[in-house]
Amino acid sequence: MTWLEGLSEGDTDWDRLASTFPETFDALASLMAAAWEDTDPVLLELARLRIATLLQYPEELTRRSARAKEAGLEEAKLAQLAAWPTSPLFTARERACLALTEQFILDANGVTDAEVAEVTKHLGGNGCYAFVEAISALETLQRASLVLGIHTAPDVDQMITRSTSAHATEGSG
Amino acid sequence: MKPRIPLPTDSVNESGLANTAGMAPALGAARRRLYRTGFRMRNVDPVTTELVRMRNARFQSCNY
Repeated sequence: MTWLEGLSEGDTDWDRLASTFPETFDALASLMAAAWEDTDPVLLELARLRIATLLQYPEELTRRSARAKEAGLEEAKLAQLAAWPTSPLFTARERACLALTEQFILDANGVTDAEVAEVTKHLGGNGCYAFVEAISALETLQRASLVLGIHTAPDVDQMITRSTSAHATEGSG
Repeated sequence: MKPRIPLPTDSVNESGLANTAGMAPALGAARRRLYRTGFRMRNVDPVTTELVRMRNARFQSCNY
């Protein structure tokens, strides 16, 4: 349970904070929705879970994206995620994205031209840009959740569904 | 700084950065909304907010 006091009632830590700061949390949920809208769900789910491992966020590791599962991501591959550099279950495209994700989380200044070029080779310029924006959004959410002590939260897909109407009216920025 | 990915235009935005308008439009709009929301919050005073923003920029070597 989050260490913050005086929060509204809710089913999860996220819900309680979202009830207390509705505009901020809706904007954050909308950012999540956009991340999943603009990127390949399998690549993003692999990145999300790898980020959770690197940031030591065990609760995030228990959640799953239904979109990624529907797109073909299986638990057997997730069980091998820590071994992505050598496991035959991972494609070159997935390895390129996971390499960039790890370096981005550990030290963004250490991301190399070669790492960006490898992702661009597989995703194109627009795809690489969207992927970097998306993992930045995931990092924002997970780091904020860790600092605020958000241990319980809706699944990714529930969060997205709740934000959809607000996100749709915000398209023009 | 030279962009590492191909961009749709060589133009720069009002901050002098590469213009990425039109790339990942949903994410861009959502991020701008989150920034606006954060800056509008009154729980933290604007001076502290700006100091934290600039300190983080320096920490990240974000020099623009």
